Amino acid sequence: MAAKLLFAISCGKAAGRGSRMLGRPGSSLPGKVALKVYPWTLRDLAARAQQGTILVTGTNGKTTTNNMLARILQQAGARVICNREGANLITGVTTAFLRETTLFGQIEFDWAVLEVDEASFPGVAAQVDPRLVVVTNFFRDQLDRYGELDRTVAVIRDALGRLPRAQLVLNADDPLVAQFGELGPSAVYYGLAPHARVVERRFRVREARFCPLCGATLNYAFYHYSQLGLFRCPNCGFRRPAPEVEGLQARYQGERVACTIRFGEKEFPLELPTQGFYNLYNALAAFAAGMTLGLEPGQVVPSLETYEPATGRLQRFRYRDKPVYLNLVKNPAGFNEALNLLYTNEGAKNVFIAVNDNVADGRDISWLWDVDFEMLETLQGEIPGFVCSGLRAEEMGVRLKYAGVEPDKIVVEPNLKAAVSHTLEGAGRTAYFFATYTALWPVERILRSQVAPDRRYTNAGGGPSLS
Amino acid sequence: MLVAGHLYPDLLNLYGDRGNLIAFARRCAWRGIPVTVREILLGDPVDFRELDFLFIGGGSDREQGILAEDLRRHRDNLREAIEGGLVVLAICGGYQILGHHYQPAGEQVIPGLGLLDFYTQAGSKRLIGNCAVEVELDGRPVRVAGFENHSGQTFLGRVEPLGRVLAGYGNNGVDGLEGARYKNVFCSYLHGPLLPKNPRMTDHLISLALGRSGQDPTLTPLDDRLEERAGAAALARLGVSGT
Ligand SMILES: [Zn+2]
Repeated sequence: MAAKLLFAISCGKAAGRGSRMLGRPGSSLPGKVALKVYPWTLRDLAARAQQGTILVTGTNGKTTTNNMLARILQQAGARVICNREGANLITGVTTAFLRETTLFGQIEFDWAVLEVDEASFPGVAAQVDPRLVVVTNFFRDQLDRYGELDRTVAVIRDALGRLPRAQLVLNADDPLVAQFGELGPSAVYYGLAPHARVVERRFRVREARFCPLCGATLNYAFYHYSQLGLFRCPNCGFRRPAPEVEGLQARYQGERVACTIRFGEKEFPLELPTQGFYNLYNALAAFAAGMTLGLEPGQVVPSLETYEPATGRLQRFRYRDKPVYLNLVKNPAGFNEALNLLYTNEGAKNVFIAVNDNVADGRDISWLWDVDFEMLETLQGEIPGFVCSGLRAEEMGVRLKYAGVEPDKIVVEPNLKAAVSHTLEGAGRTAYFFATYTALWPVERILRSQVAPDRRYTNAGGGPSLS
Repeated sequence: MLVAGHLYPDLLNLYGDRGNLIAFARRCAWRGIPVTVREILLGDPVDFRELDFLFIGGGSDREQGILAEDLRRHRDNLREAIEGGLVVLAICGGYQILGHHYQPAGEQVIPGLGLLDFYTQAGSKRLIGNCAVEVELDGRPVRVAGFENHSGQTFLGRVEPLGRVLAGYGNNGVDGLEGARYKNVFCSYLHGPLLPKNPRMTDHLISLALGRSGQDPTLTPLDDRLEERAGAAALARLGVSGT
């Protein structure tokens, strides 16, 4: 083994021991240090995969899709390396490998399953030479960091163009993603069939109204949300590709979301232990990837049905008798979907929203005005109070006021701990916590110290990585 | 009764732009002033003189190209409306389009509408960050905060700036000026969006719109404690005190 790689591994691991003492989860310091010492650390470690590397990218659903896929492979008996908790820049990806490497440079695994930030995708892909790439969707996200959406899409397109051997798994319903079909050898598509939503809303967030191939205005027969739906270009004929994996009759089943997966000619019922229609997309993506890798539906469906949400992906707690949900929010499309959850549970609920504007959140918080908080105006009878917290608590309060929420119901409490307590003590039968990225971890820590994780929704032994 | 127009809401909708119209409409509604918001889409027939307030937001480069072409058909009508006192708020890309031209780096000049005397050229670095500006409204200084994100640098001719930069870059990062002002037209690079946490500015625009349509421009005061707190918090993030 190259002495440089060994040295990089030992430096990275030493840095990791230092940073663990600070108690920071999802740290990417080891990878950062190792890459500085030896820039090809990631390439050399990824090359040790017995089977190969899978990358998951896109705006929303990366973490959930990636964790679902890792779980599917693990339960099928494979040894899997996976970057959890959203450490998805090249440094975080490298850290995932270092964690499983001994000081002597030994590492044994079958698959690396990695979620990768869109801007980091070209750099990571160039080092790991992925066998399979999943692209979930494209929405506006943290504009000040990435520039415009068009540019993000172009970055991924260019990078995929340099990976002619990678098998692509693409969202058929998103025109911005489906257009990549011609880049790979033979793309596999997944999508949701039109369905009767529990709550039908007209969303105003429209990311791509134009054909990505010719620029004409797209026609839609059906919208799922944002630009996802049954689209067709009247000019050049570009249309939603017929998906190999399709979710039929999407619906809520109590607090779970369900559909029937059609795979080729066969159908398989699927019920996820979580809410949110967007999680069906994530499950369909993971299922499609599993099929592409030659797994059996009978193996994959049970893995999905026992999936345990990651931190802040509708993570479920219990406070006394009250169900408590924690969900990460980072862009309008995702926040709208999260707000829709408030319609699925009957009865009064308290709502907590923490907004930070650190670099990892996006310094620009104007996207809050593209979220359809206006839907709360009709729902506020069921919501005794809204607690706004975080570094931009005041502005979040203003947003709710201008959405039509009664000012008396808006509490602005920048201090996270006080704000969490206030919400838990609220009169609602359930409590929903929404937090931007850098607020998520502190809120989760505070919640953990005050509530119990809801065991009915957790799976013992669903450990994250190989031992 | 006021009629507000939102120009190309499906194209010019970056950076929470619609928050400006939400703020304008809500603050009218809270005072019992009825407001109709008209969405003006690509190819729609429109007479700008019939509007009391027009909002133009920002878009991506591609979208801006599409609409500049459409807007050129309305140019004379829009000029007449502006000369007649139409109240306009134009942000970022919507601001740039009202000037003479946009000069991209090493490419052909993109002509603007030429309604206000300024031009914009591509800069070498993108000007991004929180920004605070001191604006004079009715002879009184008001400190407003927002977020700017633009690669174009704007240089003013015979028009007033909207205000002076207290923190951030403003029009070009050089001359300390932000935005532009001509008759009842207010241009700015600040989104965030601008109006919701700067209620005095919003009310100023409402007042002007009422006055222009021959209605009583005096406004009943509202409880603005939450907005003022948000404005002060945004200013404080920049180390600037409020007024
Ligand atoms: Zn087309």
